[in-house]
Amino acid sequence: MRGRVFVVGGLTLVGMLLVAGILDGAYAQFGAPRPPAAQVPDTGIAGWIIAKQAEFYRAMSGTIRAAKTDGSAVWTLLGLSFAYGIFHAAGPGHGKAVISSYLVANEETWRRGIALSFTSAILQAITAVVVVGIAAILLGATASTMNTGVKWIEIISYALIALLGARLLWVKGRGFVAALRSQRSTPATGTPAVAAPAHHDHAAHDHSHHGHAHHSHAHDEKPHVHGPGCEHDHDHEHASAWGHAHGPEPQELAGPGGWRRGLTAIVAVGLRPCSGAILVLVFALAQGLFWAGVAATFVMALGTAITVAIIATLAVGAKSLARKIAGGRSGYGMLAMRGVEVLASVVVLVFGVALLAGYMVSERMVGF
Amino acid sequence: MMQKLLGLIGGALAGLLVAGTAASAHPHVFVTMKSEVVYAPDGSVTGIRHAWSFDDMFSSYSTQGLESKEKGVFTREELAPLAEVNVTSLKEYDFFTYAKADGKKVDLADPAGGAYWLEYKDSVLTLNFTLPLKKPVKAKDFSFEIYDPSYFVDFGLAEKEPVTLAHAPTGCTLSFKGPKDTAAPSAKLGESFFNNPANADNWGAQFANKIAVKCP
Repeated sequence: MRGRVFVVGGLTLVGMLLVAGILDGAYAQFGAPRPPAAQVPDTGIAGWIIAKQAEFYRAMSGTIRAAKTDGSAVWTLLGLSFAYGIFHAAGPGHGKAVISSYLVANEETWRRGIALSFTSAILQAITAVVVVGIAAILLGATASTMNTGVKWIEIISYALIALLGARLLWVKGRGFVAALRSQRSTPATGTPAVAAPAHHDHAAHDHSHHGHAHHSHAHDEKPHVHGPGCEHDHDHEHASAWGHAHGPEPQELAGPGGWRRGLTAIVAVGLRPCSGAILVLVFALAQGLFWAGVAATFVMALGTAITVAIIATLAVGAKSLARKIAGGRSGYGMLAMRGVEVLASVVVLVFGVALLAGYMVSERMVGF
Repeated sequence: MMQKLLGLIGGALAGLLVAGTAASAHPHVFVTMKSEVVYAPDGSVTGIRHAWSFDDMFSSYSTQGLESKEKGVFTREELAPLAEVNVTSLKEYDFFTYAKADGKKVDLADPAGGAYWLEYKDSVLTLNFTLPLKKPVKAKDFSFEIYDPSYFVDFGLAEKEPVTLAHAPTGCTLSFKGPKDTAAPSAKLGESFFNNPANADNWGAQFANKIAVKCP
């Protein structure tokens, strides 16, 4: 598992280098103005990522301008946007932390992580296009009006993150307490975790009967996956029976409950448009090439999604590694895993609250 | 075993938090700056005059929806409301200008009404403003740094004459360096990014432009 994690990490880096190299060539090829070297040191991964994304970003305006007379420049623009998305998301923000924590808190699969990353990134792109489309094109709004609009979207998004965290914490906290209790009542005997003693601990059950009618409501924090038949039953919160967790059933990802489960996370993360996308859209609009801006925004989202998905996959991988280590010791191991989930829930909650309180700035909107 | 596991988990969570705390570590606005240090006849520094040119995307964003008589051309008057918004918001960030006289922090006042304006030329918006010193100061060593602590705004010195002195006493020497010229902060950069949440608030200081005037 650890090997796989490193392989994924290595591939990411190689991919980034490749994209950077290809784009370096693209400048020359399309005669786009080469951006001035970014004002950052050229070593160090963080510095390098920032330098590269600044470089791509600055080159975008030139290519949009060039696209007015030379249609082929659009391809350069799309390439730049893609690279910008990948690099930009590698910096902080863009819901990586929230999505990763959400995945760790829940018994989620890497496949779901990837799905969440892509959906939220695409939603981000859609919000950006909708905001600029309505504000700038339909209403002819000024930048400060748009800033206000984005600020409101931001507040809603942060509040949703905080709510998501609070809900996770509530469910996972109870799971932890249940695991703790069962741990106390039956001292670790070395039995496999699958035979989790707390299975019949009623404190750990959550019979949400209204789930019959609106069962999607309760699915958000379900810690593990049952066959579809189970979904019609009342919603068990098998908080300590984590030995049950297994790979995703196809119908679980595609089924209505399957998608809705992650919906809060998708909306919480994807609602807030990326400042970069808004700037590109407005700039493209001013150049009379709004469609190019829209295309760039979606390609950018694709790049962002790839980075976020890789990080989410790493998070899920780290958890299954931890689970494997913990698996050897039934009682304490399970308790530790429950603890991890509680902590991850706390992270989501802290993020939401900190963002909402303005203590943490996710990405300043172009506020001056 | 257990401790190892918990350490691993703790580390991962701390990493997630740090990743979020340094959350504004990418610039969206690029400013090419020119600055002038203004002196009174008695040789004391009275203020810092800035001319900040924004990148074309931000310039275009800022002027979006603004009314103008001629399409794509904005006069100083038409830009006056925007200039006011700029200056008002910049107050919140202390105008990204941090001055010192002989090692002591110098307080800067807000630009007076009429002492700031925007110009639009070749699709680039330039904000001109003067930051007066609250108390003019005579200093052997007057210096200031320009950077955005959260690195949302990237500042770079203009290629030609980025810094000038106005009416400086004879014998004063000027020196300046941009973030590029600062000696290898790269190692620090990587570490603070990944390991030190405390530094995240001041992350942008690594990209500071440093200007110093030494007078006899």
